[in-house]
Amino acid sequence: MFVRFVSQSIRRSPRRKAMTVAAVAMGSAVATAMLGVMLDIGDRVNRELRSLGANLMVTPKGRALPVEIGGISYRPVTRDDFIPESALPKIKTTFWHLNIIGVAPVLRAEARIGDRVVPVDGRRIDVPADGHQCIVGSSLARRLHAHAGTELTLFGERFTVAKVLETGGEEEDCVQVRLDVLQRLTHREGQVDAVEVSALTKPEDAFAAKDPAKMTPAEYDRWYCTPYVSSIAHQIEEALPMTVARPVRRVADNEGKVLDKIRGLMLLISAAALASAGLTVWSVMATTVLERRAEIAIMQATGAANRVVAALFTAEVALEGAVGGLIGALAGTQLARWVGESVFQARTESPALLVPLTVLVAVAIAIAGAAQPLRRSLALEPAVTLRGDA
Amino acid sequence: MFLRFVAAAVRFRRRRLLLAFSALSVAATLATALFSVYSDIERKMRVEFRGYGANMIVAPMGEARTLPLSAVARAEALGVTAAPFLYTVGSLRGEPVVVAGVDFRRAAPLIGYWHAPAPGTGECLAGTAAAEHFHLTPGAKAELDSGPCVVRAILSTGGSEDAQIVVPFTGNAASVIQVRADGERLAEIRAALAKVLPEGDVRLLHAVAETEANVVLKVRSSLYLLTALILAITTLCVSSNFSALVIERSREIGVLKAIGAAERKIAALFLSESLLLGAGSALAGYAAGLVVAWWIGRRIFPDSASAVGVDFGVFLPVAGVTLAVAAGATLAAAARIWSIKPAVILRGE
Repeated sequence: MFVRFVSQSIRRSPRRKAMTVAAVAMGSAVATAMLGVMLDIGDRVNRELRSLGANLMVTPKGRALPVEIGGISYRPVTRDDFIPESALPKIKTTFWHLNIIGVAPVLRAEARIGDRVVPVDGRRIDVPADGHQCIVGSSLARRLHAHAGTELTLFGERFTVAKVLETGGEEEDCVQVRLDVLQRLTHREGQVDAVEVSALTKPEDAFAAKDPAKMTPAEYDRWYCTPYVSSIAHQIEEALPMTVARPVRRVADNEGKVLDKIRGLMLLISAAALASAGLTVWSVMATTVLERRAEIAIMQATGAANRVVAALFTAEVALEGAVGGLIGALAGTQLARWVGESVFQARTESPALLVPLTVLVAVAIAIAGAAQPLRRSLALEPAVTLRGDA
Repeated sequence: MFLRFVAAAVRFRRRRLLLAFSALSVAATLATALFSVYSDIERKMRVEFRGYGANMIVAPMGEARTLPLSAVARAEALGVTAAPFLYTVGSLRGEPVVVAGVDFRRAAPLIGYWHAPAPGTGECLAGTAAAEHFHLTPGAKAELDSGPCVVRAILSTGGSEDAQIVVPFTGNAASVIQVRADGERLAEIRAALAKVLPEGDVRLLHAVAETEANVVLKVRSSLYLLTALILAITTLCVSSNFSALVIERSREIGVLKAIGAAERKIAALFLSESLLLGAGSALAGYAAGLVVAWWIGRRIFPDSASAVGVDFGVFLPVAGVTLAVAAGATLAAAARIWSIKPAVILRGE
């Protein structure tokens, strides 16, 4: 009987029902799309920000104080301390290894070109296999009158300039060759002077500013298991005991600030969108009940208990909320993916939990929206409603 | 007569109209808030990126080691933040150490990430590696060959400053000038700088400049898409509500037609009712939207100097969208007026 009532009601006015369901679906789609984008955007922007360069610098412990200006050392080179290259894979065994998206070892040396002392960096650069190619910073290239294809003599071997690099940074004043080639030429096989690490981090908050040495064990665990730049640095030092890992403040600090702003902005916009989606669903449901006051009155007049009428309408509204919510949630997930793809050229995977959650919330809001007008209608004398006086 | 019709219609269907009104107001609120935030987001994000410091540096050209200090003033004349840095090799207890002269007054906006107080005359900052090496603590005296200084604080940046002693800038030459220019006009300013500083090599810090451009662009375009999406869906939702306003009044239309009202007149009646509602919603939504935008601006960018995210220029588009939704939805439904047969409707079929 109960089921028949509900299905009859849907069958008799399919257009009105479709409109209600569509309204709920639209509200849910906005909510899901917004949440999907919001939950993902921090991560995406974090990756974009990584193009600013390393946010952690790992150097050998007890290294002599460098006296360098613009890459040129003003102290006789005494390279006693180094990081063994063979130890680098250990960085990828730390707790937050999945957050470490780049590890770049550097070996530094100086070479004479004519009467000039030129800094030479050994890096894992992408040059053809024989390794006798180099990359020259554009500022240095101008002074040396070098361009792509020029030959340079470094450490008695001939190198071809593969390209001229323009970054604006210190790389502009130095020559880069392949790490293994420089190791061989400087007789420092298997050694590196520094490791630049690029990691996805959580912005440092008040908690991260505390001194880990003064934390309680519980706090320490929480700090250790949060990808703050300081805790990742700490874990790298644990994995490579011969090193000091320092956050590069210029990059690490500002990253946090920018990320916080973007996350906060998206959160508030989502809140506004969610509120309006909720209100929309609410008002649609209230309207449908309002329109069907006569029906309620007839049911009451023919002897239906208020409880039964309320249950009937609630069931109908809940059904509409569930169907609309499901359609909307699925569409919203697609929309979030589309936004992710067109802006960040990467797939946004909304958490799977988002769909059932949206459906539940849609049902709850639909029932809440219908409740008030339903109660009002039930409280009225059927005769009054049917006469059209209300 | 016409006016009385409209006024009476509004009065007799208060609750129903209130619902339509609030739905449209919510849409207008959302539109105002989103337009306001969107119109301002680029500037706000660029302000956040100032924390990264310089986005250009001016280095001596060719074989020269320094730039004249007058170059700083010439750069500042272009409306950029510019600060000279002078690096020399000094000696402390017989060991060489890099001494950096920094004009803290000018450089303050560029070195916010140092988190260090500006040293006064006779004071200096010790980089953390240098401090460790020379066993310097805050308050200790560093006997530099160029004159002793009291260590004001220890500096830890993860950059080259960690191995330096930083002193207040003196002298009339700079090793390098760091420049922060407005990210939007970077290329233009770079060209202007190159023209006024012929003795310098003006370099763009590509990593900073490009990341800024990239992130600002992406945040802006995701906001753009989301705004469009939210508004499209909300308007669809609201317009169905307005169409229903007409459809559910078939009986009334039947009565009006039966007593001889022209279809156009009835449509005009409904339209003016909707427009009245739309105008009210636009005003209410605009006011509420400004509050929401203001609140978002306050929460996210509390230290922004300008009126936080409130843009009065968005009223016209908001009002336009709101009225268009109300009118469009009503007119779409008003097509029914012509096909309604009074006798059929009034018989209740």
